[in-house]
Amino acid sequence: MRRKKIWTLAMCITLMASLLAACGGGNNDKAASNGEGSSSTNSSSTDNPYKDPMTISVGYWDADVEIANIEKDKIVQQILEKFNITLKPVNTTWDDYAQKIQMWAASDQLPDIFAIDAVGTQYQRKWVDQGVVKALPDLTPYPNLAEYFEAPDIKGLSVDGKHYTVPRRMFPSVDWSALDRVVLYRWDLAQKAGITKEPETWEEFEAMLDAIVKADPEGKNVTGLTSTTTKMLGGFFWLYGNPVATSDGSGSDFKWIKEDGKYIPAIYSKKTLPALQNMKEMFNKGLIDPDIALVKPSDSYDNFVAGKSAALLSGGGFINYNKEIYEKRWKSAYPDQDITQSVKVLKPLVGPDGERSHAIFKTYWSESYFSNKVDDKKMARIMALYDYVLSPEGKDLLTYGIEGEDYKIEDGKKVMIETRSLIEKYPARLFLKELVAYETSDRYNLDDPTIANEAIRKEAVEYIDWILNNTKVPDYNILLTYISTPTKDKFSVLDHDDLLKMMLSKESVEDSWNSILKDYKAKGLDKMIEEVNEKAKEEGIE
Amino acid sequence: MADPVTVRTPKRSLGKTILQYKYFYLMVLPILLWYALFSYAPMYGVTLAFKTFNYGKGILGSPWVGLENFQTLLTDPEFRRAFWNTVIISLMKLLIHFPMPIILAIVLYEFSKTKIRRFFQTILTFPHFISWIVLAGIIINILSKDGIYNQIMMLFGGNPSSPLVDEGAFRPVLYITHVWREIGWDSIIYLAALSGINPELFEAAEVDGANRFRRLLNIAWPGLKSTVAVLLILQVGQLLTQGSSFDQIFNMYSSPVYSVADTIDTYIYRTSFTVGGDFGYMTAVGVVKSVISLVLLWAANTFAKKMGEEGLY
Repeated sequence: MRRKKIWTLAMCITLMASLLAACGGGNNDKAASNGEGSSSTNSSSTDNPYKDPMTISVGYWDADVEIANIEKDKIVQQILEKFNITLKPVNTTWDDYAQKIQMWAASDQLPDIFAIDAVGTQYQRKWVDQGVVKALPDLTPYPNLAEYFEAPDIKGLSVDGKHYTVPRRMFPSVDWSALDRVVLYRWDLAQKAGITKEPETWEEFEAMLDAIVKADPEGKNVTGLTSTTTKMLGGFFWLYGNPVATSDGSGSDFKWIKEDGKYIPAIYSKKTLPALQNMKEMFNKGLIDPDIALVKPSDSYDNFVAGKSAALLSGGGFINYNKEIYEKRWKSAYPDQDITQSVKVLKPLVGPDGERSHAIFKTYWSESYFSNKVDDKKMARIMALYDYVLSPEGKDLLTYGIEGEDYKIEDGKKVMIETRSLIEKYPARLFLKELVAYETSDRYNLDDPTIANEAIRKEAVEYIDWILNNTKVPDYNILLTYISTPTKDKFSVLDHDDLLKMMLSKESVEDSWNSILKDYKAKGLDKMIEEVNEKAKEEGIE
Repeated sequence: MADPVTVRTPKRSLGKTILQYKYFYLMVLPILLWYALFSYAPMYGVTLAFKTFNYGKGILGSPWVGLENFQTLLTDPEFRRAFWNTVIISLMKLLIHFPMPIILAIVLYEFSKTKIRRFFQTILTFPHFISWIVLAGIIINILSKDGIYNQIMMLFGGNPSSPLVDEGAFRPVLYITHVWREIGWDSIIYLAALSGINPELFEAAEVDGANRFRRLLNIAWPGLKSTVAVLLILQVGQLLTQGSSFDQIFNMYSSPVYSVADTIDTYIYRTSFTVGGDFGYMTAVGVVKSVISLVLLWAANTFAKKMGEEGLY
């Protein structure tokens, strides 16, 4: 009996202990991010600014894997040693990063540095207003970082003269946004369907899709245009006469144009209806994948490579084309076939206004934010690290490796000596580089090995040169996108949802657009336009 | 007249009772603690429904705004739409799904061979253990352009269509897939109730000449009734939560069917994390949902009591 009682007691204690253990934990991160910082503030150093070791927690996509790679990466170790920094991972994933970070912000558990695409969102404005994120210090001691903030759309992010984020720059100008939404099409199927000329206008593109779908040359029940995600849709369909309406799917980056003497979001322009009608006609003619509403990236790549869809709208430009289409799928499916002969990248089509337009985004995607718990000394160390990564020395080291070991300079050009892939040799190099900035444009260079397939790399360089010479970014003022008014701060435009709804609706385009417009008006569209126009006047934006 | 004899049980203090049954109390303690920590302690967050959330000040420090969040809610067309979708989907799920496991349990019980009964029970219970994320992938494939559904449609001369983006077809897909996933699992408890009925009653009825239908109506159904009542009350109480299954809808819907499928849960999620709405407003939405659930639970319990069943409280 006594033994039974002891057993019961032991079981109860174990249950209690496991319950309490499950409730515990979670404070380790906080301790690490705060404790380390505060201890470092106690010591002072005058000779070496980086004398005190510092642990910095980083909330980044797959941070645990990326930071674990530092052990195998001589270059990143060397940089971190230089600044006497240890990075502590706080993991986020592509599926949950926005939710996780918002929860951390609400529960006061943000890591020292965290990555998210939040510019213009309601919560980002609140983070700034309510002191959740720390303002950047005076950037004079960090010349590379200061220069980085000279780009107009990055400079425009300041709030009352202060910057609260370091955006991850991709491109030197918005002309390069063309790479953010590209349409790949199966030129081999088009030729089999009797098409002899690569499409240059919307009519020619639609005729090509129509020919492929009707001929179904490989008997696979081929569909027309598909997409990797529905968020991509606006980046293509708005190009039919209303390119300023393109937005990145966040709901907060809608751009403004002047129409009938006042500023309105471009999506509500008179040019909208023709673009919608064109999209709807394409869908009705069977030129768009009927399953487009529920597409998944991997399925869409598979279907395109398998010849089940004639064209694919995707993001990530030629880097993604090389990685997702060529490396992961095409290489093994068609080992003897030159991909560039079978797949083409659509050049921006001539629209109804006679212009060739491409999607317009910002020059950056996603940003680094810094928790308000970061003290000034830690912030200075983070800024120094960011400044170094952006410096010519840091860029060369993180792009080409070590001079003399991985590359040499001949006639002012960098020539690779290392034959092994730098990704394998220095696996954390890109993480550190991209923690600060993507600098995607650097990869559109014949000497840069990132786009491994040389034929694709050559096409990539030619494509961006063609874009820069043959397309024009329409007029709009990005400052109006950043402007803050009570209604605008709560207003979102999820144009991809609207486009999808109209595409699949049984109603006419006019009716479905009017019903959508009615919903936006109920959410305060007219009031927002009024407020923005007033504020624009106040700020001298004419 | 003599006083009626009253038997007095000695009154014992609560402390003494607890001491006597200390091991039972100890065993129940972790569960009570779990509820206290995870269900009751976080309830202070409900106050957020009357505040506007301030990241810097937290839940307790955020400024009060009175009923502002509820006023906004009443004028928000998307909330109204989500509310009605939740009510319609939940009620329809209850109407369509609730009788199904009872019927299945009776049908399975009628199988005299245990092996056949077990076979069907296993097959029908299996989908319950697959998450909606996986199931949604399977359903999307079945209903896609090249999926089985459209192949059959075309075989009979129909045009290919996609029910998942069709406003008229999306809700039926929800009901059917819900029944398919849960029917086997939900029938277990009814099967257990049927197994609890004394078999001699069935045998006696058979001897007396009662046919299968009579036996069902006069023996099986009275034996099942109280279980049905309790489960009905529980399901009504969870109508707005489980009925408008977040996982099921979120993994299968898209903007063309928001008008018929966006429920309170999916609306809260979309607004909080995609658009970044105020947590105070979102809490107000959650509070409205909880209050309605409470009223429904009370109504179902009262109804069950009036019908002569015991009820939950």
